[in-house]
Amino acid sequence: MSGRIAVLVFPGTNSEDETLRLLRECGGDADLVHWSNAGALDEYDAYVLPGGFAYEDRVRAGAIAAHDRMMDRVIEGTQRGKLALGICNGAQILLEAGLVPGTGAVRRPTAAFTHNAPVPHFVCRHVYVKLAMDPARSPMTAGLANDAVIPAYTANGQGRLVATPERLREIAAGDHQAFVYARADGSLGDDAIPNGSASGIAALVNREGNVLAIMPHPERDAWNFNHLDRAEGSDPLAPSGGAVFFRSFVAGVRR
Amino acid sequence: MSERAIAIRLKIPDNEAYTALVALQRLGVEAERLERSEIWIVEDAGDPSSLASRVEANESVFNPNKHRLEVLASPQPRAGEVWIEELGAHDEVREHLGGKAIDGIARARRCVGWRLLDRYGEPVSRGTVADAADLLLCNPAIEVARLGPEGSRARREEAGDRA
Repeated sequence: MSGRIAVLVFPGTNSEDETLRLLRECGGDADLVHWSNAGALDEYDAYVLPGGFAYEDRVRAGAIAAHDRMMDRVIEGTQRGKLALGICNGAQILLEAGLVPGTGAVRRPTAAFTHNAPVPHFVCRHVYVKLAMDPARSPMTAGLANDAVIPAYTANGQGRLVATPERLREIAAGDHQAFVYARADGSLGDDAIPNGSASGIAALVNREGNVLAIMPHPERDAWNFNHLDRAEGSDPLAPSGGAVFFRSFVAGVRR
Repeated sequence: MSERAIAIRLKIPDNEAYTALVALQRLGVEAERLERSEIWIVEDAGDPSSLASRVEANESVFNPNKHRLEVLASPQPRAGEVWIEELGAHDEVREHLGGKAIDGIARARRCVGWRLLDRYGEPVSRGTVADAADLLLCNPAIEVARLGPEGSRARREEAGDRA
């Protein structure tokens, strides 16, 4: 595997540049691929679906994009073992496409990231997410330590995981919880959950471990200038914080 | 207190409905037009004849430059239509009516109504509406779909087939 990474751009995607910049900083061979060039996705070994408002969130967040021709390629590629990472709106698209948690048929969603609670408003806040599974469960997290805590920014109006009780039991039993919201020291608590997400879930992974959907943005806390925990006098343009997750992702693509 | 339904539609081009129609057609759903409405199911203690004007007076939910409002004959989807309602949605009237109370309305639930029409402008069959809900319009993890009755055209065609 050559390790080429496609950063997908749908109409309305708005986080592609910082995602691409960080992937390259972490050693990734990454390019932007726009919706009008879906066929090009066959040349790539992994897909990153960045944040934004694909198709203006028409019908539901991620619903139209999940049926876009680019997603035909992503579905086919992930079924052959390619990696796919969705961030924020990208995560919503992966859920609408049925790729995560992957407990139902393709394009038959069994869960959703929907309106935040208790107040269904946009929430922009610094958060921490804690790895909630064995790092080796996914190639994308294999480079992280057990219980790794990663800083990120949540910035969405629809980031609360919702599913029926039966589907939530499947998520727990199938070890689909990739990351949960946590405090900076890794401890868990309701105060760490910004949006009422079920079980405090911030990210889901499919059974095979090659598709991961994360709601908060690690790429927005990945440089010292926007990293809350930066050391005094550190280079503001040096990568930090959430970059550790992207290094692990890039290493997973090359594996 | 009576349960009534109001439909608010755009009278300017509805880009969201067009996008959804194109996506549905790509998925094989046979429809030529798609109409989208914001449906409010309200519990109203006021004068039924003034319901439209009372809602239209709330400028945070009704903009006469781009909306038209219709009080529906019954609080049920029509032929060719499906109402999509979010599970566990809040029903506090102030949240759904733009933070402002409307005289007489005690509670309100909001749905999105999608009405599919064929090339003759007639409602498509109930089965086609069900397909549209299943394939795109409804995420059963968070939403519930209420289908309208079979349309008269579909009933006529079914009767013709039997004859």
